[in-house]
Amino acid sequence: MSTEINLEDLSFLQLADSLFPTGLYATSSGLEALSYTKKLKPNDIRGLIDVYLRQQVGPSDCTALGNTYESIKKSDLHGLIDADQTLSSMRIIEAVRNASIRSGIQLLKCVSSFVKQNVILEGYLKVVKNGEASGIYPVSFAVASWSLDIPKLKAGLMLLYGFTVSVIGAALRLGVIQHFDAQVIIHDLKPCILESVQKNIDRPLSGMWQFAPGIDILQIKHEQMDSKRFIT
Amino acid sequence: MSSQRIPRVGVGGPVGSGKTMLIEQVVPLLSNKGYKVGIVSNDVVSKEDAERMRRNLATEKGLMPEELVIGVATGGCPHTAVREDPSINLSVVEEMESKHDYLDMIWIESGGDNITTTFSPALADYFIYIIDVTGGDKYPRKRGLGIENCDLLVINKIDIAPYVGADLKIMERDAKVVRGNKPFIFVNSKTGEGISEVVSHIIRDVLFESPPKTLVKS
Repeated sequence: MSTEINLEDLSFLQLADSLFPTGLYATSSGLEALSYTKKLKPNDIRGLIDVYLRQQVGPSDCTALGNTYESIKKSDLHGLIDADQTLSSMRIIEAVRNASIRSGIQLLKCVSSFVKQNVILEGYLKVVKNGEASGIYPVSFAVASWSLDIPKLKAGLMLLYGFTVSVIGAALRLGVIQHFDAQVIIHDLKPCILESVQKNIDRPLSGMWQFAPGIDILQIKHEQMDSKRFIT
Repeated sequence: MSSQRIPRVGVGGPVGSGKTMLIEQVVPLLSNKGYKVGIVSNDVVSKEDAERMRRNLATEKGLMPEELVIGVATGGCPHTAVREDPSINLSVVEEMESKHDYLDMIWIESGGDNITTTFSPALADYFIYIIDVTGGDKYPRKRGLGIENCDLLVINKIDIAPYVGADLKIMERDAKVVRGNKPFIFVNSKTGEGISEVVSHIIRDVLFESPPKTLVKS
């Protein structure tokens, strides 16, 4: 076990902390819609997140993050824009896409309030502002993590862990699990998170994919609900 | 992304205290004076408040385009959405600012919450906290961040005070003690009593007596 600690570790904790403002607490990733169709148990929550990680967030979001890192290494802003646009076009549910873009832009703005004179961060914010890129969350998250010297693999872990915790947080606020259940589910999902990062972070952009039609339908149903607590 | 910041008024208060009704009363008076307003409404569960304001203020009265009343879901965390992590609200407000730079102000209604509600200064420049007499005349002296720190405390439903055993004199006395020199106003949002005073505070303290932008440009 490493005995070294450094500023990057603290940046890792800062970005991964639920205190960091991203707006993710307002999304349930379809869980709210699902909770209206059946009485959910902890296993259902675990199963839903597992599908997300293997079929959607892993091969699309994590791949976008990995490609963003590689583009940054080459100072290739066009590659970064490619990752942004490819992922945005894959987010077919408007509410999900918009929520991700809103969170991404606010994340960038927040990080740029304390990371100064960073060419990539400033450059990406500029192309988002002029409409060349959307600012979608996984790409913004990669840019923010890179600007804080967080290594690619750790950034991938944070992204997928953050997603997992956001769905579990929604389950808690929907009242479908209790707080010990939440931690058990997080613990159980650790191997899945790790595997999804390892499998997808070095995938080329051309190999980015997602296939979770059941989840897409769930999100569409949620988008059309009259009464809801969550954005997605 | 945002161009220029437009003055923002945050309205917070408990569920049923009259936040939506206050905005529905204030906006027509501001419109009569030529001020253009956008509204972002945070609902805890439904989209009812945003839809009601859109119908009443935009569709029926034609005081604003329908797209200028936007509902925001808060993930069951109304206070987080306006204070600890206002990311989604900031994003919606900034989009409104960039698309409608002629607006004189943007009102942000918090979801119904408790007496600890406050707005992040990054989100709102001016904070109205509204309570009503049905909580009892002890309400102001119970303090809480909202009651103590808001820029303007509004005490609503004064018409029913006698029926719920609330003594307005006690509320006035305690509000003075708790708030010091900061203002508070008694209103009846059903009839409009006291609303013009709220509007005067907004024009003086938020807009600094500036005339409507559209009048200046023309």
